[in-house]
Amino acid sequence: MTQTNPTAAAGLRELISFRIGAQEFCVDIMAVREIRGWTAATALPQSPPFVRGVINLRGAVLPIVDLAARLGFESSEPSDRNVIIVAQIGEQVVGLLVDAVSDILTVTDDVIQPTPDVASDTAKTFVRGLLAIDGRMISLIGLERVLPDLELEAA
Amino acid sequence: MDPLAAIRETFFQECEEQLAELESGLLAMEAGDTDPETINAVFRAVHSIKGGAGAFSLEALVRFAHVFETALDEMRSGRLAATDVVLKTLLRAADVLADHVRAAHDGSAVDEAHTAELAEELKALDPNGATAGEESGGEEDWGDFEFKPMSVDVPAAPAGPSGWQVRFKPRADLYAKANEAALLLRELGRLGETAVELDTSGLPALTDLDPEAAYLAWTVTVTGDVDEAQVREVFEFVDGDCELEMTPLTTAEDGEAPAAPVEDPGETLDIGALLARVQAVADPPSPQQVSPAAPAPAAAATPEPSSPPDGQGQPRKPEAGATIRVDLERVDRLIDLVGELVINQAMLSQRVMEAGFARASGVAMGLDELEQLTREIQDSVMAIRAQPVKSVFQRMPRLVREVAAMTGKPVRLITDGEGTEVDKTVIERLADPLTHMIRNAIDHGLESPEKRAEAGKPAEGVVRLTAAHRSGRIVIEVADDGGGINRERVKSIAIEKGLVAPDAALSDEEIDNLIFMPGFSTASEVSDISGRGVGMDVVRRSIQALGGRITISSRPGKGSTFTMSLPLTLAVLDGMVVSVQGQTLVAPITAIVETLLPKAGDVHSLGGSARVIAIRDTYVPLIDVGQALGYRAGPMDATQGVALLIEGEGGARAALLVDAIQGQRQVVIKSLEANYRQVPGVAAATILGDGRVALILDIDTIVAVSRGADSLRAEKRLAATG
Repeated sequence: MTQTNPTAAAGLRELISFRIGAQEFCVDIMAVREIRGWTAATALPQSPPFVRGVINLRGAVLPIVDLAARLGFESSEPSDRNVIIVAQIGEQVVGLLVDAVSDILTVTDDVIQPTPDVASDTAKTFVRGLLAIDGRMISLIGLERVLPDLELEAA
Repeated sequence: MDPLAAIRETFFQECEEQLAELESGLLAMEAGDTDPETINAVFRAVHSIKGGAGAFSLEALVRFAHVFETALDEMRSGRLAATDVVLKTLLRAADVLADHVRAAHDGSAVDEAHTAELAEELKALDPNGATAGEESGGEEDWGDFEFKPMSVDVPAAPAGPSGWQVRFKPRADLYAKANEAALLLRELGRLGETAVELDTSGLPALTDLDPEAAYLAWTVTVTGDVDEAQVREVFEFVDGDCELEMTPLTTAEDGEAPAAPVEDPGETLDIGALLARVQAVADPPSPQQVSPAAPAPAAAATPEPSSPPDGQGQPRKPEAGATIRVDLERVDRLIDLVGELVINQAMLSQRVMEAGFARASGVAMGLDELEQLTREIQDSVMAIRAQPVKSVFQRMPRLVREVAAMTGKPVRLITDGEGTEVDKTVIERLADPLTHMIRNAIDHGLESPEKRAEAGKPAEGVVRLTAAHRSGRIVIEVADDGGGINRERVKSIAIEKGLVAPDAALSDEEIDNLIFMPGFSTASEVSDISGRGVGMDVVRRSIQALGGRITISSRPGKGSTFTMSLPLTLAVLDGMVVSVQGQTLVAPITAIVETLLPKAGDVHSLGGSARVIAIRDTYVPLIDVGQALGYRAGPMDATQGVALLIEGEGGARAALLVDAIQGQRQVVIKSLEANYRQVPGVAAATILGDGRVALILDIDTIVAVSRGADSLRAEKRLAATG
């Protein structure tokens, strides 16, 4: 409690890190509204494969994005062990399906290294930077483009 | 918003209410209501608008309101008879007044010539010429609007009788509303010389005295140059809360009138104080303030052989009831939350059943009660949003007057069921289609006066607008007593415009329904009023968008009736819950005509994946919902499923093939777009009793797409690029 306010004041950032397969990722904690267990989603017709469907979050209809599929990894059928990170993206609230939440990281901006120039479009679209924590590589994910984009699909 | 702007906004809101009051009062008078209270209400409405407008320096509005008020005052005092012609003028003046209010509100322009014309007409109504018109431009009493009666002090008016004898008996309600008899008597005293006599005959023995009842009556003789209106004005704000009897004094009586006051108003205050003391002793816990519970003892106290009420005592206007203005968002939030509560309660019940509690156990019974309570809460919350259709019906008389004037057809509008309640959103979206339909009824439905005379009908056409609740929906009818639909002509126009094949054999009903086809308009020449070719198909579409249906029935020579059936709310929908390939979907019941089990012999392939099903000798396309939504790759065996025969936009029929029907249910509509986006083929989502999301089918898209393309993909691409 005494830690949070001073950290924010000192230009520190808090990130939530999570696992997808063997990879580790993190997002800004300010975007995260809650974390909940997996519940079966209602499939949406004609939706991209990474949209798992919609669930009921206390009365709101919440789309679930399979982050593994979205980031171009192999995804498997979710089970009770999976976790949904409920995140606020702009005006919308979206559930992100991940394997497990691992940690809360408090870092300064200079710890975040710029994304190296790679050919992957996915990396360019989503990865905002890399962190090296205890010898593990954690990619910082930007959520703005997580939801399917109508214009891009039509093209 | 700065405070003044907020007050101004409130003023305009009140103006709307006053205008509505004005119009309904005038219409009641037109229908033969002679209750003086109605005239008073009409007068007060205009007076309040004038007063408020004065406070905001809305010159044009004040000027017109003043002329209007003067004419009404003449009527109130009985010098102007409420004839048909007069009322027609007053109604048109009410329209102009409404225009002025709107102009003052949003700064739009007013038709000056029209205003001047009506102002002249109003002045011409005044039997005394323009006498009353020039009481210093009406500036004398702006200050008094909406306030206590004591500031009214009108300069002497034309000579009336030389005095009045006023018998005044307050009811308990008068005191309950914090009015005070002594103040009214004092006010009377300002009009002229007064003699006051207190009548204590109604006063019971002290032991029987009800401290909150009213027992006293006064007879006041006012001498001097006072007219009736002035006296009435003193009692204006206690109207209906007292018995009031006024008799003019002849000059002969005048001599004996100034007899010494038997009782002074001051005396009455002592009695008031005495009552208070009695109350304090007899009934210590209740505060001295008269509570709203007073009417009960009052009712017991009034039936005494006192003077019969002269019109003042007629059925009192229902009290304005305590109302509050609430932000719609808050109500919607509450409705959302209650929706959650219902779902949660359903989930809980299911869990308890699963846990193996007996039905007779305390837990299960408690849950049953909870279920009842939640249903009741849901109904009450929905009722908050419900409003009487009056607000939209009220706009129609004006429309009728305008269209009647433009077409030269005398029309009488009869409305019924204005009190029928329906969701506010439905009401708002009802105004446009209703406007269209009423215009149509007058312009196309009613014949010209000459033709009516030929047919032996009264020259004045009748348009009837009614609303009623019927089996959980609201049914609104627009009926005219015109010539009915000219089926020959409708059919030939439809053929001419290529809407139907020239050799098509159509039933009368089918011909009638042609007028709902896009691009159909029977007006031989495009008029101002209707006939822009966007008539009834637009009406039909907006009704369907509200989840409603519209039908027409017409009898040649007798007229046509349009019947709209609408859901009471847009927040919930009556749905048919079906399963398709393991998914639970909801189809809106309004679209479903019937359900049937397809037999192998009825289903025919038209090549490719296209199939049709024979339903009583007609073939309609059979759409596999699972395939259309992409839940399964190949078509399912039609004989294994259930077909829903549906009627979509424009009356096109199709059969939707689903795996099974689970049942009918009322579902709460949830938006998909809020957190995601529109999904082709899906209108919205809902949450079922098990807490899972189910999708509500967008039947029109599914039908349209399956007609044009193999799957929804094409439509989606179209939507994306378009």
